[in-house]
Order: sequence, then C-alpha cells, then structure tokens
Amino acid sequence: MYAGPISRLIGELSKLPGIGQRTAQRLAFHILRADDDDALALAEAIREVKEKVGLCEVCFNLSEGPRCRICEDERRDRSLICVVEEPADVIPIERTGEYRGVYHVLGGALSPIDGIDPEDLKIAELLERVDSGVSEVVLATNPTTTGEATALHIAASLRDRAGANGAVTVTRLASGLPVGADLEHADEVTLGKALAGRRALG
Amino acid sequence: MHLAAVESRGFRNLADARVAVGAGITLLHGPNGAGKTNLLEAVYFGLVGRSFRAGNDRDLIAYEQPAARVELELAPQGAVLLAATDRRGERRHLLDGRPLGSSESRPLVSVFHPDRMELVKGPPAKRRAHFDRLVGALWPARADLRTRYGRTLAQRNALVGRIAAALASPASLATWDDRLAAEAVPLIESRAEVVEALSAPVTELGAALGLEGMEIRYRPRVPPERERIGSGLAERREHDLGRAYTSFGPQLDEVELRFGGRALKRFGSQGQHRIALLALLLAERRALIAAGRPSPLMLLDDVMSELDPARREMLVAALADAGQVMLTATEREQVPAAAGAEVSAVAIRDGRPLGAAGLGAADRDAA
Repeated sequence: MYAGPISRLIGELSKLPGIGQRTAQRLAFHILRADDDDALALAEAIREVKEKVGLCEVCFNLSEGPRCRICEDERRDRSLICVVEEPADVIPIERTGEYRGVYHVLGGALSPIDGIDPEDLKIAELLERVDSGVSEVVLATNPTTTGEATALHIAASLRDRAGANGAVTVTRLASGLPVGADLEHADEVTLGKALAGRRALG
Repeated sequence: MHLAAVESRGFRNLADARVAVGAGITLLHGPNGAGKTNLLEAVYFGLVGRSFRAGNDRDLIAYEQPAARVELELAPQGAVLLAATDRRGERRHLLDGRPLGSSESRPLVSVFHPDRMELVKGPPAKRRAHFDRLVGALWPARADLRTRYGRTLAQRNALVGRIAAALASPASLATWDDRLAAEAVPLIESRAEVVEALSAPVTELGAALGLEGMEIRYRPRVPPERERIGSGLAERREHDLGRAYTSFGPQLDEVELRFGGRALKRFGSQGQHRIALLALLLAERRALIAAGRPSPLMLLDDVMSELDPARREMLVAALADAGQVMLTATEREQVPAAAGAEVSAVAIRDGRPLGAAGLGAADRDAA
C-alpha cells in the first residue's frame, strides 16, 4: 500500500507493545514529517540503547557495563535478594528507599500458555546465587496467577536445596491496602485480602 | 440505590419514551406483542450491557434505526447508566459518561425469562457460572475466585498439553498443581456456602409455588483441602497427560437442582422447570437480603400465567418485602393486591407505555 521504506517502518512500529496498525501509521507519518535531526536522534537513541545496555551478569537487571549499579554498590547487603519479574519492577522498590539488599530479575513469570517454563527464566542462576551465602530471599513477583505460581515454584526449589545451603528464609511481599487511601474507596477484593492478612498490633 | 426511570431510543418495538419506575412492584401489562418484555429487556440491557435473550445485539435495534440506546436513572444519587449498541457492533456502557468499574456502582439484577430456563435444565457449566457469580454478589471480596481459578486452570491445561507434546518438561507441573489446589479451596468452600444459604429457601419457596420436595445440592468431588486436591491431581497426572486437559477439580462439579429425589433437569416438566427457576431466583433474593446485601432488581417475564390465584397472591406478598420488581402480565388482574404490596401499573400498547398509575393495595380493593 505504501512505498517499501514506509511500510517497513509501519511494520516495525506495529510490533511495539500497545501499538496497533493505525497508531503505527500515525507514528510513521509523524516521523516522516519531523525534522531530520529529530528523526535521526530517535534512530540513534535506539541504536545506542541496544549497543550499550545489556543485562547485569549477576542479577540480570539492565546494565551499561557487565554489572549493574546496584550490584556494583559496596553498601548493598548481598545476603538479601529481592526477586522480581522484570527490570521495570526494580525501579518502584528502589524508589521506596527502604530496601538495602540486591535484586534478581527473572525476565518474566511462569506461563505455560505463553510457553514460558522454568528454564526460560533466570531461576537456576538464582539458586546458584543463593548457594553462596544468602540469608533471605524476598519474592516480589506480581500478585497475579503467573506471578504467584512463579513465587511458589522458586520457594519449592529453594526448599529442595535447603539441605545444601543451610537455612535461607523465603518471604513474600504482603498485599493489602494502599497507604493513605480511605477504606471507603478500596475495592472489595483488595480489602478482603487485607483483612485475611491482618496482623496483631503492638 | 434503585432504578428511578428508564428511557429507551431505537430499542426493539418500543417508542422512544421515558418510564418512571416505582419503589416497589411495577406491573407492565398489555396484550401479546405490545412490548412488555422488551421494556424488561431494555432495563436489563441498561444495567448489564447485553440482553438476557439468546441472540445478536443487533436484534435490539429497532427497524430502520441506527442504534439502540437505553438510559437508566439511578436514585438517590441521580447517576445515569447508559448502554448503547449500533449496527456496526459498536457498544457503549457508561456510568455518568465513564466506563463501568466494579459491580458495586449499579444494582444487581435477577431475570425470569424463557431463555433463562437453561439455568434449570441446561448443562452444569451454566449453573456453576451462575452460582460462582452469586458468590461474588453475596461476598464481594470473593468476586475474583472463579476468574482466578479459571486462569490457573488454563495455565495448567496449557502446561499439560505442552508436556504431552514434549514441548515442556514436567518440572513445574507440581507447582501448578499446588497453585490450582490452593485456588480450588475457597471456590469449593464458597459454592458450598452459597448452596447452604439457598437450601432452606429453595425448598420452602418451591413448595409454596407448587413444587413440593425441591432441593438444591452441591456435592464436590473432593473436599476443600489443599493436600487432598493436590494428591487428586497427582493421581490423575498420567491420565491428564494422555488427554491434555485437567480431569479433576471443581471445574467439573455439579450444583444440582432436584425434585422428588431426582435431577430436575432430566425429569421435570416444562411447567416444573419454570416454577423451579422462579423459586431459585426468589431464594437467591432472600439469601442476598439475609446477608445484608441490597435486594436485586427482579425482572419477571410472564410469571403469573403459570400460577393459580392463591400462588399469585403468595408471590406478590413475597416480593413486597424489599427492593424493586418489574413484572409483565397480559392482564392487570393477574397481579392481585396483597397485604402491604405497593403496585404501580403501566399499560403498554404497540410499544408505547401509557403512563404510570399509582395503585396501592387500598385503591385496588376499591377499583
């Protein structure tokens, strides 16, 4: 329908998440209309990110060098590992300023429907890391069907190896109410979970 | 929260009109084909965003109209629910102009209509889905149990299929089995609780409507214990791998409606099925009220024709205690005055509601 280069650009854009054929067309024509400098800056940024950013060899977070900034940081507690699904999940936990341990990014969650099995995630690498003197693993996968199954699978695998590496504590993030929100505005499912997970005060 | 008015445009044979809906019982009466059921359907469409009749959304659109559109006015907050569908299949379902969120923002609805008879005589899946939804209506915090179980089951089925096809190792099957078992426990428990809550009212209301010995029964194939379910799944693993699906768990359970010690769906007559559906809907309403939930809006299409005068009176009395009811009848006299029942009658002719007339029990006697 369009000249080769244009339909190629539309084709590439429509592979992006959340971008359908029509949005891809709009973006392509926006790029065509844009200044050469702007358009080439976009191309350059994509090239640069692919050349310079890889995965940390320890935790598989995004990294500009062989190791990410968090793994390089001497002040982080290496005996505490927080396991997340994606690199993007590291950011909100870092933003809390409350976590002083290191991370392990699985690169997804178990999902047989999507053909994702344990071998497709960095689970073996996590078990190896735990063998080298880790005291606690915090499972911070999402509270979804796939995230819960992933947490369960890792917890079971850690238990199976417990003989080899002594006692490692496995914890799971709590789920409940957003802080500062009124009870009145909480949805029933979240509130129900918060009730089920209530704790004694003091 | 209750329904104050319904306004329809381009909906089936209904003239574009606004009909005020009273607090108690609203009787829609008129000859066959006048549009009584269509008005009930319009209310349901406004609340739920689809029809309770089998068939295509496009059938809702009046002849030579571009779209069918229903606005419901909700009291006391004055919110407006809008549902619309056009000939290209575009649909809208909005509350005050915003897409609908949780079910809390609109009244629950319960329908008696011939197309709903599937609930009594159809396959078990219909009843499972229905009672799982009722779990969410009774205990909103559990509204996601069915979805969660379904998602986990779909993952396990996919894994079993992939293992059978040698595309995946069985390493994570134990994880998914355990996950599925964990999700099954609250689902089985909640179904048992729902059936327990319905059990006495179903039998009582069935008898009152002329179906002596009606029962509702849930016998799960496995008790709600995570280990038992897990070992059940493990025992059938070889079998499941051979067939690439999950042959054990509450997705196969049956909630049975029974009558005289036998399955109603196999042995009941057409008339008995109708009575059973009515008794079930009334029992659900009673269970909701007993649990402190709002009474659902009852949409009852032509229930009276089945009942003798004494039972008609019993039904009106039973419906008068709480909440809103809209029902259709060909003759106004089919809805008798009952003690305390506030009935407003709306006559419908050729798709045109002829205005609501207030009609209390006292006026009724005088008339």
